[in-house]
Amino acid sequence: MHLATFAARRLGASMLILVALTFVTFAMFERIPNEPAFLLVDPKIATRAQIAKARHDLGVDRPFFTRYAEYVGRLAHGDFGRSWATIGYTGGQLQPGIPIRDELFQALGVTASVVLGGLALVLLLSLPLGIVSAARPRSAVDRGSVAVSLIGISTHPLVIALLLQLFVANRWGWLPGSGYCNLHGPDVYVTSGISSVKCGGPKDWASHLVLPWITFALFFIALYSRIIRVRMLAVLGEPYIRTARAKGASNWRVVRRHVMPNALAPIMTMTAMDIGTALGVAAYVEVVFHLPGLGARMVSALALGIFDVPVVIGIVFFTAVIILALNLVVDLVQGVIDPRAFEARRESARSGRVT
Amino acid sequence: MSATAGSATATAVAVAPTPPAGQWSLFWRRLRRDRFGMLALVFTVAWLAMIFVGAPVASHILGHGPNEPFPYAVDINAKPAGPWTTVPAVHELHQQAEYATEKPKPPPGTPNTTLVLGADGPLGRDEFLRVLYGGQTSLEVAIGASLFALLIGAVIGGLAGYYGGWLDGIVSRLVDLVMAFPLLLLLLLLGTTATPNLQHVTLGVFHEGVVSLVVLIGVFTWFYAARIVRAEVASLRRREFVEAATMIGASDRRILFKHLVPHVVPTLAAYGAVLVATNILLEASMSFLNVGIGLPTASWGNMLTSTWGSLLTQYGYSQANFQPWCTLVPSGAIFLTVLAFNLLADSIRAALDPDAA
Repeated sequence: MHLATFAARRLGASMLILVALTFVTFAMFERIPNEPAFLLVDPKIATRAQIAKARHDLGVDRPFFTRYAEYVGRLAHGDFGRSWATIGYTGGQLQPGIPIRDELFQALGVTASVVLGGLALVLLLSLPLGIVSAARPRSAVDRGSVAVSLIGISTHPLVIALLLQLFVANRWGWLPGSGYCNLHGPDVYVTSGISSVKCGGPKDWASHLVLPWITFALFFIALYSRIIRVRMLAVLGEPYIRTARAKGASNWRVVRRHVMPNALAPIMTMTAMDIGTALGVAAYVEVVFHLPGLGARMVSALALGIFDVPVVIGIVFFTAVIILALNLVVDLVQGVIDPRAFEARRESARSGRVT
Repeated sequence: MSATAGSATATAVAVAPTPPAGQWSLFWRRLRRDRFGMLALVFTVAWLAMIFVGAPVASHILGHGPNEPFPYAVDINAKPAGPWTTVPAVHELHQQAEYATEKPKPPPGTPNTTLVLGADGPLGRDEFLRVLYGGQTSLEVAIGASLFALLIGAVIGGLAGYYGGWLDGIVSRLVDLVMAFPLLLLLLLLGTTATPNLQHVTLGVFHEGVVSLVVLIGVFTWFYAARIVRAEVASLRRREFVEAATMIGASDRRILFKHLVPHVVPTLAAYGAVLVATNILLEASMSFLNVGIGLPTASWGNMLTSTWGSLLTQYGYSQANFQPWCTLVPSGAIFLTVLAFNLLADSIRAALDPDAA
């Protein structure tokens, strides 16, 4: 299939998926008994008229399809609507609420800090580990890394997060255990323990993210070092490696020039494909360490008991766009770099892990 | 074929050759040689016995249940007692002075009871019994959801792989789609919206909340099983033995269930063990996000997370009420169980297919 045709088709399919996804989410919240008006008025004392007015102010009194069409129309202009939880009456005056868009981009910044920093740590540790254990199979390093990765995949990120927070941050006080500091921009107050500390700048940003990064990374290092090892070993068995050795290339040169490029290209695409799992893992990390990212925001929008529907749908849409866009980019880059593997990629892609 | 077989039996009457070992006895022989695999198997069986049979026995011996609070197992700073503590067996605390520095003495003559692994938190429930009973809930969820997912996956994947065409197209696209999305967010979404309706369905044998989690997790994990079965069936159905079966007039159903499914069972068994391991972890995640097993029913997930607090209110940490056992015990239970199932999966895979390992 030609690359441009492929791109156009995938883009069209992605659009359809997005429409379907927002529709399903929209419909799901329509079906559950949940009175959004109670975000605005007290259910115990509100009169029928007040509830009706609150419903009107939230815009939920109109028919389902009208609202859905309007929502999609606004989404097309980049408007995610306003968070219901921030709409309210102050002195009888309707407060219009805070637009979700800016909030989502801020949350995306936090999530990206967690995921990208964690990913850097993953590649930094799992690449050498995988390469060394493949270069010397059945050595002490190889056996050690098998054991470590088995332990790694058997430990829940949540367990790691709770234990790190409990011991490293709280008990021993080595690193801050909660809160997010801006990398650049205004200083913010974060609570650590019972005191509130003002923080900001790269140093505070990094120190507050060390534990989240470790939590995030441990889970993926276990997976990746094994997969890198397997791929390296598969390439080591190829005839062209034998040819290179026959020419008299040193062991290290064979690994560096012939094995690594062939073995690691798919690892990069796999990393991008795992972004869905990564966002899931990031959600616990964010909640445990009190980082205001996308996952934590979603959880708080659902945890109130009365759902902040625009925020939830906004986040679902937002994550879906990120995932679909990354997948598309990866497929296209793959098609340019290695047309041979392009067709077969989808089939051979590693099945994602459930968390 | 029949002629040579006939002459072979005629000559081999005196020395009957031992029949070739079957697939399963070979499997068992290889598994027995695998030290880690046997260790994991023995551990899993013992651990399951302890959880499902041992829990009521332990509860009977200790004389209390997993949900009974013991106020005396918690000190004045709300710090739960550590392992092997003997506390007065009373469930209520009478008239505590407002600025008391220690708890009032229990009435004289109260019997004592032993908390083997200490108390579970501010309520002072028995951590040991909660780990065992929580294991029942967690494993019911994990094993139930795995079987559910394997069943749906095998049927749909089998049909898609065997018939191909539009069914295959739909299933493959659906799997691609679902695998690309953050499962956790979907579970959270459905968990908050759907589970309240299923919360009290127990079917008479399960703990409360188990059925809804089984359905929820199963519905989101059958895709992987379907993918595995589909690939396997699609490649097997072009083999000669299927052709031979078609030739002698076997129906599609017979070919699918008598000839193809048995080939897929080993792969599914290994995948099932992995699935149980991931589902134990998933149950913990869901409890953490408030969509898991509801208190007071214990599960490993809610034991682990209740020490941290809930989403809305996190318990403040203080040196005075720091009790690491409350976090370490459920963490250890989850870790060991998941490790055992992962090892078991590796060993099953290796024993079924020694060439690939």
